[in-house]
Amino acid sequence: MALERKDADASTTVSVVTVGPARSRDALRQALAMGCDDASLVLAEEPLSDLAVARALAKVALETKPDLVLCGKQASDDDQGFVGPALAEVLGWPHVSMLTRLVPAEGGVELWREVEGGHEVWKASFPVLGTAHKSEKEPRYPSLPGIMKAKKKEIPERPVGSLGADLGGPRLEIVALETPPARGGGKILKDGDMKAVAEQLATLLRDEAKVL
Amino acid sequence: MNPYAGGTERELAAAVAAWSERLGPRIAAAEEAGKLPRELFWELADLGVLGMTVPERDGGLGASTVAFALVLEELAAAWASLAVGVSVNSGIVAGSLVRFGTLDQRARWLPRLIDGSGLGAFGLTEPTSGSDAASLRGTARRDGDGWVLDGNKLFVTNARYAPLLLALLRVSSSGGPRGAEPPARHAGITAFIVPLDVAGVTIGKPERKLGLLASDTSAVTLDGVHVGADALLGEVGKGFSIAMAGLDAGRIGIAAQAIGVARSALALASAYAKERRQFGRPIADFQMVSFSIARRRTETDAARLLALRAAWLRDVGRPFTREASMAKLYASEAAQRATHAAIQVFGGYGYMREYSVERAARDARATTIYEGTSEIQRLVIARSLFAA
Repeated sequence: MALERKDADASTTVSVVTVGPARSRDALRQALAMGCDDASLVLAEEPLSDLAVARALAKVALETKPDLVLCGKQASDDDQGFVGPALAEVLGWPHVSMLTRLVPAEGGVELWREVEGGHEVWKASFPVLGTAHKSEKEPRYPSLPGIMKAKKKEIPERPVGSLGADLGGPRLEIVALETPPARGGGKILKDGDMKAVAEQLATLLRDEAKVL
Repeated sequence: MNPYAGGTERELAAAVAAWSERLGPRIAAAEEAGKLPRELFWELADLGVLGMTVPERDGGLGASTVAFALVLEELAAAWASLAVGVSVNSGIVAGSLVRFGTLDQRARWLPRLIDGSGLGAFGLTEPTSGSDAASLRGTARRDGDGWVLDGNKLFVTNARYAPLLLALLRVSSSGGPRGAEPPARHAGITAFIVPLDVAGVTIGKPERKLGLLASDTSAVTLDGVHVGADALLGEVGKGFSIAMAGLDAGRIGIAAQAIGVARSALALASAYAKERRQFGRPIADFQMVSFSIARRRTETDAARLLALRAAWLRDVGRPFTREASMAKLYASEAAQRATHAAIQVFGGYGYMREYSVERAARDARATTIYEGTSEIQRLVIARSLFAA
C-alpha cells in the first residue's frame, strides 16, 4: 500500500521499522528489496508487551515525523491487533483500521476500509495512522535488482532500551490454552420410511438439540 | 545447500521461485496455444531476470553464472517453455553481445534484450548442418560498407518474439595463395546481428514439437538481407569461436533447465506417492516406488553440482568447456530417467494431460538434443581429455 503511493508519487519516502529480535532483519531486508527507501531495527531480543512496543515505535515516529504510519492489522501469532491502535493512542493521532486503499486528498488522505457489502471512506489530515488489511493489489515481488540494492543498504539498529520509552506497564499473561472439545459423532436416521425419519428428526431437534 | 552458490545467489533464485509460483494457471492455456504470453516478458523484465547476466555498465544486473543457473532451474521447474526462451535470450544471445559487441552494438541491442519487448534468437543450425555446425551454408558478402546476407536457419528458438537474430554465416574468401594449407572447415564463419524487421527476412511457420509447446521454434530465412557494417559481431572469420563460446555457456543453462524439470517431476511423484493408496497403504511405502524416486533425486542433485561447478568456473574466469558439457550431458540424461520414473509412479494418470508429469517428460526430451546432442557432448569431453 505504501509502495503504491510511492509508485504514484516518486517523492514519497517509505521507511520501515520494526521492534524485534535480530532475525527481524530478514523481514526488513525483504521490504527494502521490494522498494522501500530505508529500514531500521529496534532491537528487543526478549518479547515486550504490546503497549511497550507501541511506546517504542512512538519514539521512532516522533523522531522521523512521518505523515502516515501504516501498521499490519494484527500479529500473525496472537492475533491481538493491538499495536497499531495503541501506537495511535500514544501519539495522540487519529487512526483507521483495516485499510484496503489509500487515496491522496486535499490536506490529507482518504482511507478506504472494507465493510459489509462495500467500502467505508474516511478522510484524515496528517499525521494519521492506519492498519492495513489486504490491499486491492497483490503484494509485489522483490525484483532481482531490488534484492541486490537492498544488500548494499545499511539497516541501522539500536537497542529498545536506548529510546527512553516506558517499557513497563501491564502485561498480558497466558493462563491456559485449551483445544476445543472433540465433537461427538453425528446421528444418521435410517429406520422407517421418509415420514418416520422426519418425525424422529423433529423429536431429536426438539428434545436433544433443543433448537425447536 | 551446495558449495558453489552464495547467499545472494540463493536469494535471487528464491525470488524467481516465488514469482514462478503464480504462473500455474497460465501454463496450460499457453502450451495449448503454442505461444508465450507477451506480458510475461514484461514481468520478467520487471523482475530483472532478462538482464541479470548483463553487466551493470550495460544496464543489467551483473549477476553471476551461478545465480543465472539457479534462476533457470526455478523457471524450468515451473515452466520449461519459458526457461528455454530466457536461457537463449539472456544466456547465448546477450552473453555473446556482452563479450564480443562494440560499445555501440551493446548500447543499441542489449536494452532490447532486457526490457521485455522481446527475446533474442540464435541462428546456427541449418537444414543440412546440425551437429556438424562448421558445414553451414548461409553466406554473407560485402556490399559497399555493409553486407548482404543469405541463408536458411532452422529450429530458431524465440524467432517470433525476437528483435534480433544472432546469425552465423560464411564470408567467402578469395582463397589463399597457391600451396597454402587448405582452409579450416569453419573458415570464414562470421557472426552477424540481424534485425528481424528488415526486408528479406521471413519467419517460417512455428514448428510443431513433442514438447516445449509454448516456446517458439521456427525457421528464419534470410534472402538478400542488407545490413550495415555495424551488423558484424566480432571479426570476420571468428564466428565459429563466438558460437562455440556461446554454446559453452548455454550448455550450463540447458543443464539447469533439465535439473528444474527433473526436480519438479520428482516432487510431483513424491507427493503423489504419499497420497495414492494401493494394497491398503500409500504407494510410497513400497520400496519399488520410494527407491526409484530416491535414485533419481540423487542423480538430479548430482547434476546440479555438476552444473554449478561449470557455472562457478566460468564466474572465476577459468576454462569450463569440458565441465559445461559434462553438466549438460549428465543433467539432460538424468532428466530423462527422472521424468520416466515420475510417470511410472503416477501410473495411468501420469500418461494423462491433466497431470503435468507428462509435460515434464516431453519438455525434458529436448535437453539431450539442443545446444549439442549427448553424442556431441561426449565428443567434446573426450576431445578435451585426450587432446595432445
